[in-house]
Amino acid sequence: MSPLVATLWLVNVTLDTGGQLAFKAAAGDPRAGDGLARWRYMASRPWLWLGLLAYALHLLTWIAFLSLVELSQGMLLASINIVAIMLGGRVLFREALTPLRIAGILLVSTGVAIVGASG
Amino acid sequence: MNARTWRFYLCGFALLLVFDTIVQVSFKLTGAHAFPPQASGAWVSRIIGQPWIYVALIGYVGNFFTWMSLLKHAPIGPAFAASHLDVVSVMLASAWLFHDALTPMRLLGAGVIMMGITCLAFAESRTHGGQDKLAQAHGPLGAPADD
Repeated sequence: MSPLVATLWLVNVTLDTGGQLAFKAAAGDPRAGDGLARWRYMASRPWLWLGLLAYALHLLTWIAFLSLVELSQGMLLASINIVAIMLGGRVLFREALTPLRIAGILLVSTGVAIVGASG
Repeated sequence: MNARTWRFYLCGFALLLVFDTIVQVSFKLTGAHAFPPQASGAWVSRIIGQPWIYVALIGYVGNFFTWMSLLKHAPIGPAFAASHLDVVSVMLASAWLFHDALTPMRLLGAGVIMMGITCLAFAESRTHGGQDKLAQAHGPLGAPADD
């Protein structure tokens, strides 16, 4: 993996994870209320907008990444996003890491490492 | 679960995979047509100036509505696993369309990743609030997509 591809991959994972966590922060705010008021509240706070910005940037870095690697390899490497989001959820929202989740995280990470190491 | 419900799920998840695959193939074609990638307005112009990006966005919309229909009733664990089968469907599509090499290491990596996703699917089935997690973890772009 060239330095440019590795950088794009890391930026891509960061933006996807950051976007997802920002959406979670927006949607999970208990003060948001219901219905239209909920959307108004979310729009008045930064999280929803940060999530959308991260997504827009992620779209561009994903296209740039895919133009430098084979699609099959890119998809496999992007599976690490699942792991990053789960770990982010653990750190920021104290979501449980059960033994089965840890096993899943280790397996996905190992699979991504195999694909990454094989070029 | 009766035969009709099974048929609904099978068709729904097959449709989801088709949309996912179309989206990712279109992103790949977008990148190829806008090559080389640059941190510049010229590159973004090349992206929005050719049709594949719009095919990808239409695929996203189809994907989103299919996903939301399925999530209404589908059991969370199997739904999580099935939604990530796109890794396999996109890999096969790119071998066919772009002649990507399915090397033994790549196939091994894909197999281990799918085993991990199966573990996570079982974990979601057993955890309350799995639906939130599922929605978060789905696809490379978060919305029924990478992702």
